[in-house]
Amino acid sequence: MILINVISLFLLFYLKKSSGTQEFPAQLKRYFNYGMIAAGVLIGIAIIDLPPQILFQLLSFVLVGGIVYLILLTPELESQKTMAITPLPIVGVELLKYLIETISPSIYNTLENYLNAAGFFALIWAVTMWLNHRKQMKEIEIERIFLKEQERQLKATAEQKSQLETLVAERTSEILKQKEELQDALDHLQSTQEQLIQQEKLASLGQLTAGIAHEIKNPLNFVNNFSELSVDFLEEIGEEMAKISDSKEKENILELLEDVKSNLVKIRHHGSRADSIVKSMLMHSRGGTGTMDPTDLNALIKEYSNLAFHGMRANPNPINVDIQLDLDESLPIIHLNAEDFSRVILNLVKNAFDAMRDKIGALGNDYKAKIQIQTKDQGDHILIKVEDNGPGVPDEIRDKLLMPFFTTKKGTEGTGLGLSITHDIIKSHEGKLTIESKVGEFTRFSILLPKVKLGEKST
Amino acid sequence: MKILIVDDERDVEDLFRQKLRKEIRSGTLELEFAFSAKQALEILASENPPKVVYVFSDINMPGMSGLEMLDIIKEKFPKIQVSMISAYGDEANYKKAMESGAKEFYTKPVNFENLKKEIAEITQLNL
Repeated sequence: MILINVISLFLLFYLKKSSGTQEFPAQLKRYFNYGMIAAGVLIGIAIIDLPPQILFQLLSFVLVGGIVYLILLTPELESQKTMAITPLPIVGVELLKYLIETISPSIYNTLENYLNAAGFFALIWAVTMWLNHRKQMKEIEIERIFLKEQERQLKATAEQKSQLETLVAERTSEILKQKEELQDALDHLQSTQEQLIQQEKLASLGQLTAGIAHEIKNPLNFVNNFSELSVDFLEEIGEEMAKISDSKEKENILELLEDVKSNLVKIRHHGSRADSIVKSMLMHSRGGTGTMDPTDLNALIKEYSNLAFHGMRANPNPINVDIQLDLDESLPIIHLNAEDFSRVILNLVKNAFDAMRDKIGALGNDYKAKIQIQTKDQGDHILIKVEDNGPGVPDEIRDKLLMPFFTTKKGTEGTGLGLSITHDIIKSHEGKLTIESKVGEFTRFSILLPKVKLGEKST
Repeated sequence: MKILIVDDERDVEDLFRQKLRKEIRSGTLELEFAFSAKQALEILASENPPKVVYVFSDINMPGMSGLEMLDIIKEKFPKIQVSMISAYGDEANYKKAMESGAKEFYTKPVNFENLKKEIAEITQLNL
């Protein structure tokens, strides 16, 4: 009976070792240990031949049967199934021997030779099965190692892939950043280029106006000088006429001479107006010649909006306009080129008049033209707002408003220079001009001027 | 006293004659006109010694400029006073004229009050 228990011990020992890297559950390991102890005890009992032999022999069969049962039913031992079959013939033969011997020893004696032969064949079968199982197990082990290696490689590849992906993402974001920077630089360049073109245009415009102004100045001088002279002469004529005796003809002549004189005075007046325009054109085209003097901005706005209004009223197509001044009385005296800045006010107000005249033409007298001029102390800056309730500026031309020679006025009414020069003057004061508008409702020009206080300049 | 006025604008003649009518009528002043620097130099050269004591000249003229003429007059007729009249009252022209020996520098439009004063002074000197 030692053989059966040795088989049990061997099976348990082998199963315990076969776990390899994958650990069996603690429960299973406990079974193995108890089984091995039981087998060892049974072997010991068999050696010292402790009675009752029959019971211990039966227990030996129960143990080996239990082990086989365990192998067949435990999923973790699936790969060891052939192990369960290996000792079965031996166990079967031994069980037969045991049963026959226990039931009828006489029959056992007659069959002993056959049973021994069967035991021998069972042993051969078991060894064959065992070797076969070992081979199988090795193959499985090799396959397992191979799979493991493959898995490791796969894992490494995945890791490399994710590293690459991280790298690619990094590079992509770098490139994107660079692209954004380049785009910024390009935008900057484009706007600089636009500004340069503007400045170039303005510079050539400046030269042009200087040239034109000079060419106009000479003939204008003649107009002014001759009209002035003629007024003098008419006075002399008047003195001479006094010496001639009165008559109806003389009265008529005196009346006509009076008219001629008043006409000449008008010529002289408008000639000097033209002269002052030419002078300021020259002043502006020379650039930077005007000095920044302490100026009461509110007074300047009052004066020039008023001037623009009366100029408009004196010219053809006067319109009725409600001019509302909302001037911040706390405005400090600031440094301005008053001559240039007065032109800013004139231009903006005149533009508003022209735009509103168009609206009056379109809508009739129901429309009440209105201009609001506002100044506001904003701490570091002074805000000047000129807002009209005219036709507004469509979005598509708002950007073009400041370009030289761009005009919405018909025929010879506009030169397209007013706002361009206005913008230029504001820039020379380090200010900012923004235009807001809603078609059909309003147009608002906002000028933001940095405040330069008298005290700051002198210290 | 004879004064020469040089300007390519022909209306300058009428203007000056009318503005200085009284002086001309009283005989204290005689005006001569040249419409180019070349013509002016010819007039000055035609009399020896020239009767002209004072030249008023424009600067920007076709052909020879007033400043070039100034140099020639100062070289050939150092006794004649020359004043410049220019629409371009810039620093460069002013400096050049003064360095070349111009007496005065008038900017256009000409202020005849000042001009008359200047003429009156010269007249005093030349009586």
